[in-house]
Amino acid sequence: MYFEEIQEGMAIPSATYGPMDRYKHIPIAIILRDTNPLHLDRVYAQERGMPDVVQQGPLNETFLYRFLTDWLHRPWDLRKTKIRFAANVFPDDLLTCGGTVTRKYYENGEPRVDCQIWQQNQKSEQILVGEATFTLPERT
Amino acid sequence: MAPDRKTLIGRVFPDVKYHISEEDLKDYVAVAEETHLSFMNDGDARAVGYERRVIPPSFAPYISIIGLLRAFDWKEDFYLDYKTGTAMFGEQELEYLRPLYVGETLTIHSSVTDVYEKTGRRTFDVAKITFTVTDEQGVLALRGAQSYILFK
Repeated sequence: MYFEEIQEGMAIPSATYGPMDRYKHIPIAIILRDTNPLHLDRVYAQERGMPDVVQQGPLNETFLYRFLTDWLHRPWDLRKTKIRFAANVFPDDLLTCGGTVTRKYYENGEPRVDCQIWQQNQKSEQILVGEATFTLPERT
Repeated sequence: MAPDRKTLIGRVFPDVKYHISEEDLKDYVAVAEETHLSFMNDGDARAVGYERRVIPPSFAPYISIIGLLRAFDWKEDFYLDYKTGTAMFGEQELEYLRPLYVGETLTIHSSVTDVYEKTGRRTFDVAKITFTVTDEQGVLALRGAQSYILFK
């Protein structure tokens, strides 16, 4: 995909990930140095009204980023993200990510594309909603 | 009675250094199933125009969150005890000013820029922390903001 081919309103190809794996919470907790029991201890999570352990928010984001950066020419063509955490993810959930182009323009001579991005689970509940800005190469 | 968290606005946290280690990246790439070759070796990264091996952009939020979690203490800085309270992510803004590389040591500088109360099904505070991430030369590489929902 090149900048010239982008049109406002066009969909970015969606991608589905999962089922989510509770055992991935452990390396993520180690990487984040965050042992919040909400992510690791089912009894603790259930005492707080959750059906199961809650997947770490950054791990939910990982899949939204992958959906977008796997589609870009180069991963670091990403320029900005603004993401709202709307709901929790639990083990065995499936996460579908999608997006829609909202604007194409130049900033400081660089081609830029703004888009709405979202992630939802298998029940069509919004998990993450937000915006992203990226650059794409020009054909000419 | 819980202390008023609005008094936290303006609090500057100590700077935190984070080294993007091979170990963290190896663990992360496996969990995230990130497969772009520029994350794997210098040669493939150079082939697509990077100086050397880059990290996945999806790891950038982790760096900011690691920095914040090391900068503050939930109990002392936000009056939140895991035994009785819950903290959740609200909104996150990030601006990527350049690629981030494996082996870099970054400095995360953060401060509380807003706190406000909201009422949904429950009443909670939203605390917004603004941060910058600079490299070893002091050049800005990443900046943004992270808000946390702190249930009362």
